Amino acid sequence: MSTPRCYRRSLCWIALLWILPTLRLSPCESRAAEPPAPSSDDLKFFEAKIRPLLVSKCIDCHGEDTQESALRLDTYAGMLGGGTSGPAIVPGSLDESLLLTAVSFKHELLQMPPDGKLADDEIQLLRQWVEKGAPHPESGDAGSITPRRGAIDLEEARKYWAFQPIVRPEVPEVEGQPAKPNPIDAFTFSHLQKQGLTPSAAADKRTLLRRATLDLIGLPPTPEEIAAFLADETPSAFEHVIDRLLSSRRYGERWGRHWLDVVRYADSNGLDENQGFVDAWRYRNYVIDAMNADKPYDRFLQEQVAGDLLEKDERHGEASGDYSAVIATGFLTLGPKVLAEKDPVKMEMDIIDEQIDTFSQAFLGMTIACARCHDHKFDPIYTADYYALAGIFKSTKSMQNYTVIAKYNERTLATDEEIKRKTELDAQRKAKETELAAQVKAANAALLKEIGAAADSAVPADAEQKYPEETKTQLAKLRKEIAQLTADAPELPTAMAVEEGTAADTQIHVRGSHLMLGRSVERGVPAVMNRSGALKIGESESGRLQLARWLTSEENPLTARVAVNRIWGWHFGEALAPTTDNFGRLGEAPTQPELLDWLAVELRENGWSIKKLQKQIMLSETYQFSSQAIAENEQLDPENKAHWRANVQRLDAESLRDSLLAVSGLLDTSRGESVLDLPKWKLVFDHTSKDATTYDTFRRSIYLPVIRNNMYDGFSLFDFATADVTTGSRGTSTVAPQALYAMNSELFLSASEGLAKRLIEEFPSDAEARVPRLYEIALGRLPQPHEVERLLKYASQLEPLLQTDAKIEDPHLAAWSAVCQSVLASNEFSYVE
Amino acid sequence: MNNEISSAVLSRRCLLRNSAVGFGYLALQAMLSGPTGLSAASAASATLSHFPARAKRVIFLFMKGGPSHVDSFDYKPKLQQDDGKPFPFEKPRVQFAPTGNLLGSPWKFQQYGESGVHVSELFPHVAQHVDDICFLNSVHGTNPSHGGAALKLHTGSDNFIRPSMGSWVTYGLGTENDNLPGFVTICPTFAHGGAKNWDSAFLPARFQGVPLGVASQPSTKAEVKYIANPQWNAKVQRMQLDLMQAMNQEHLAMSGPESSLEARIQAFELAYQMQTEMPLAQNLAEETPDTLEMYGLNDAMTEDFGRQCLLARRFAERGVRFIQVTHSDSKVQWDQHGDLKAGHTKNAAEVDKPIAALLTDLKQRGLLEDTLVLWGGEFGRTPTCQGAGADGRDHNPEGFTMWMAGAGVQGGLRYGATDDYGYYAVENKMHVHDLHATLLHLLGMNHEQLTYKHAGRDFRLTDVHGQVHHQILA
Repeated sequence: MSTPRCYRRSLCWIALLWILPTLRLSPCESRAAEPPAPSSDDLKFFEAKIRPLLVSKCIDCHGEDTQESALRLDTYAGMLGGGTSGPAIVPGSLDESLLLTAVSFKHELLQMPPDGKLADDEIQLLRQWVEKGAPHPESGDAGSITPRRGAIDLEEARKYWAFQPIVRPEVPEVEGQPAKPNPIDAFTFSHLQKQGLTPSAAADKRTLLRRATLDLIGLPPTPEEIAAFLADETPSAFEHVIDRLLSSRRYGERWGRHWLDVVRYADSNGLDENQGFVDAWRYRNYVIDAMNADKPYDRFLQEQVAGDLLEKDERHGEASGDYSAVIATGFLTLGPKVLAEKDPVKMEMDIIDEQIDTFSQAFLGMTIACARCHDHKFDPIYTADYYALAGIFKSTKSMQNYTVIAKYNERTLATDEEIKRKTELDAQRKAKETELAAQVKAANAALLKEIGAAADSAVPADAEQKYPEETKTQLAKLRKEIAQLTADAPELPTAMAVEEGTAADTQIHVRGSHLMLGRSVERGVPAVMNRSGALKIGESESGRLQLARWLTSEENPLTARVAVNRIWGWHFGEALAPTTDNFGRLGEAPTQPELLDWLAVELRENGWSIKKLQKQIMLSETYQFSSQAIAENEQLDPENKAHWRANVQRLDAESLRDSLLAVSGLLDTSRGESVLDLPKWKLVFDHTSKDATTYDTFRRSIYLPVIRNNMYDGFSLFDFATADVTTGSRGTSTVAPQALYAMNSELFLSASEGLAKRLIEEFPSDAEARVPRLYEIALGRLPQPHEVERLLKYASQLEPLLQTDAKIEDPHLAAWSAVCQSVLASNEFSYVE
Repeated sequence: MNNEISSAVLSRRCLLRNSAVGFGYLALQAMLSGPTGLSAASAASATLSHFPARAKRVIFLFMKGGPSHVDSFDYKPKLQQDDGKPFPFEKPRVQFAPTGNLLGSPWKFQQYGESGVHVSELFPHVAQHVDDICFLNSVHGTNPSHGGAALKLHTGSDNFIRPSMGSWVTYGLGTENDNLPGFVTICPTFAHGGAKNWDSAFLPARFQGVPLGVASQPSTKAEVKYIANPQWNAKVQRMQLDLMQAMNQEHLAMSGPESSLEARIQAFELAYQMQTEMPLAQNLAEETPDTLEMYGLNDAMTEDFGRQCLLARRFAERGVRFIQVTHSDSKVQWDQHGDLKAGHTKNAAEVDKPIAALLTDLKQRGLLEDTLVLWGGEFGRTPTCQGAGADGRDHNPEGFTMWMAGAGVQGGLRYGATDDYGYYAVENKMHVHDLHATLLHLLGMNHEQLTYKHAGRDFRLTDVHGQVHHQILA
């Protein structure tokens, strides 16, 4: 096992490892004047005092043989060029020379040498030397010193497959076969052919319909839908099915959920203080609507990064009440945050880090957050790149404050006029309330006087009934007015959303620590991805708008590649590049890069329409393969990496629950809105550990609360996305607690009973007729004779057994519920072929 | 069921994900690199480790809220002397809340055992065991808030999502009893990280901690969710399973070979076993009156935590690898910013006798030999005072005490030290990462080699940190 090397996002100090901030020296930002030619006295000083010190204390780890953190102090170039992230010495500048910071032991995170501080006079010598301009025998060549990371490295780095521009690949020919009508098949068949694998035959119609239906809408096909498809013998029968499914409202409820995995959607903060995100559902519904409307993917991303900044006409005009582009920016606020961090600056930088991490993994498939503390160990991402992005997010207002417990930023979803009206009505109401209070006070005083009580004595409980009629009428009128004003000015809806903050570049945080700041970095995108010059960010702008536009521009090949790869993976159960969220060197390269690029081109050229791409994929022979094993292929590719057959896929958590509800007739297909019965800013859990979240709805699973740190059992047991980080492909685990859930949970029991009732209602006396119906509803196929016989046998054996159980009211229904449960708990129900 | 594993057919990752059998990473490594034909079952029982293990299992007694070390196991005579005086050193840059002057402990300390370790009068029963206990007086963390500190202690990270230590341990060593979960957590708290504190994160799901009950409910209600059927009796359920498995076998024959389908067939049988086994493991009626009395089950004060400790012993006996017990009264737990005297008195009274009983019991049964007991909270408390009437202390992650007892650690030892007042760890400082490294070491695992590849890189419980403190090993 190798030791971990990409110490991603680890904040604490890596013992004895010295990393300096990145400084990309472009010609226009040369930092110090050319060092003066060293005098012979200066050189003597260096040779007599400084070099011996360096040799005895530093060179062991930073010399010719070993370069901890890629830093060499045995050459002048090494000192100026620096380690993995930049110069150790800046001639003449004590503050900027991190060698001095390190030896001074003033900073808890950067202390060198590791085995103990130098003597004070030694440190003084080093200071003198730097102040003198760091004279060095090699300093005559200083002009030719280039930073370790220069333009040449970037050019090299850009040759990596993921950074290459996307060019439409030629569609290959499949040897000895007529040209494939669907180019996807041309790619996959030729790929299989090269590996000596035989493509599977086509799946039968029933299997195909079950696969496509669960794939696109997350529910099994109904017997009626099966009958219609079987009856349609036209060549376009399957195309009709795809069109029907893509235009179903249920489609967005399934494919929107895939996207929610990518953006780590949740209804609560999780992490340290589990604050409820009471408005998160608006973002969730925005995603469902966007998927259903087939919102162009480029547009979809732009809205999530900078919806509030897009031109008004691009936003369909907020006057019409469409705040979707603002709601979309909720993406940036949904992350898990350490809300009780006592250090507000650290809290802010941690939140920005989470944004960078999600932004880069979700959209670019890159782990840019690795570069918070040091240059990325494997990908050409510099610390400076990280802080270029951090500047954009730091110039964005994502939080209302950074005090414990902090609050996310929100936007009121109303026009200026509506807000003005609300303010006015509120003021009027307040005035009336003041008036009411004054009148009550006066009336009470009068009453006390009247009954001869002291002015400061308690008012009788029924005081108001004793007021003069005139006063009573007045009070009633005021109360009515207040009620009316309250009704006229309800609380305005709000959304989790960002807005522009104070625009400024950000300084590099050495080792990721806000306590040790380096140079300021211009806001922008990582150098390796930037081919046409810096983003043009206005002085007062955060840069989000420019970032959003760059994200979906021709210049950036990652966005389209990452998207089509995930879409492929969600359809097939295995993406072309298996590490869907990491296209860097530590990820796995795509098995079929040409196909990946061809799909990416298609997506772009079809107006970024996801539905068009999906239709093309599903119409391919490749999608329609049977899952049957072929013995010779099994030998060559047992894990089906080349996709010679359809994968047998388990239903995900939501599809499992939704399918159970659907077959039992319990499913509520209405649209869900708010999910938390909780005042804003409250914690879903406090010290008491009492869980007030309810899941007692039969709506589709996408409308259930996603509570970080205490996920709904039906989710957490079945490999639901963690909701904390980007998840472009979920795992599938098989564990005993899942079986306990299938055997004993309320969900399985009530679904089984619902299904049994449905069958008995349809066939009150003909038990035998129930079995084919059961098989078709639950499994999408008809049973074989022995299966009918077996099921009936169990039902009839169970019934007398249940008659003796006092708990059971209706043994016949119970027996059928029990056998239905066996079917619903079976592998066949839980898996798609 | 055929347990023969062919490494040519299945990747290691695939195997860990899809097998319901409880072998761990180390066994698997050996199995796949060793001679072919070694079965999963034999690998599970084999003792495979990076080096000889001293401990086979862990019982972690988690004191939620942060018990005060200067009032319990870190005796500071100078703090008593200088009661009321200003704290003479600089306070940390980041504090949870401001604190005042030094506050001497309201409790008397006394030496115990042959080792003569000082223990305060809060823990008279635990004090009887000092010669078996290794007090880690120099533990320190980085986060002064409950959530961050609890997550750091349980997962090694306070801001990223990482597997919990129980998951790592179970992942590394597997389980000794396939009919029970490998990692259970009794009455855990949902606050401050909640399930993250027993989550397997990116490790395969079967290494996740299985919660029994929750802190907001009495431990009488501590049971695994969905362990019992509200509707069907065992006979009906067996018939249901028989019907389902007949369907599954036919389906497998049609669709196979498919490891996940086979694993799911196995998982149902395991679940069925677990339904029988779990109530047996929790059946305290099997215990003698003396044992119940020893754990304090007859006393309202100790009854709740006593039951948790007794359950822990029963799970330990049955081969559960990592058992966490949480003491967390539903309001403020050990978090005495004020009302220190009353609060700590009550908290200590609830746990002292049960913990001592657990140590006695484990020792009597020979289980202390290979069971590591770990005690502590997410941080300690400041020696400086807080709150009305100077009767409170703030969170202190800068230096606090945890203790270990049992397998492989030196008893009667005070290891490391805080400053004269107990604010900062100063000698043999033991970071939480070091604690994790040492814990894994005791279990026979090298913390740098216990890795899991995720998102393109190898992860560890200790990230890039952690040093084993060999000085505490017996």
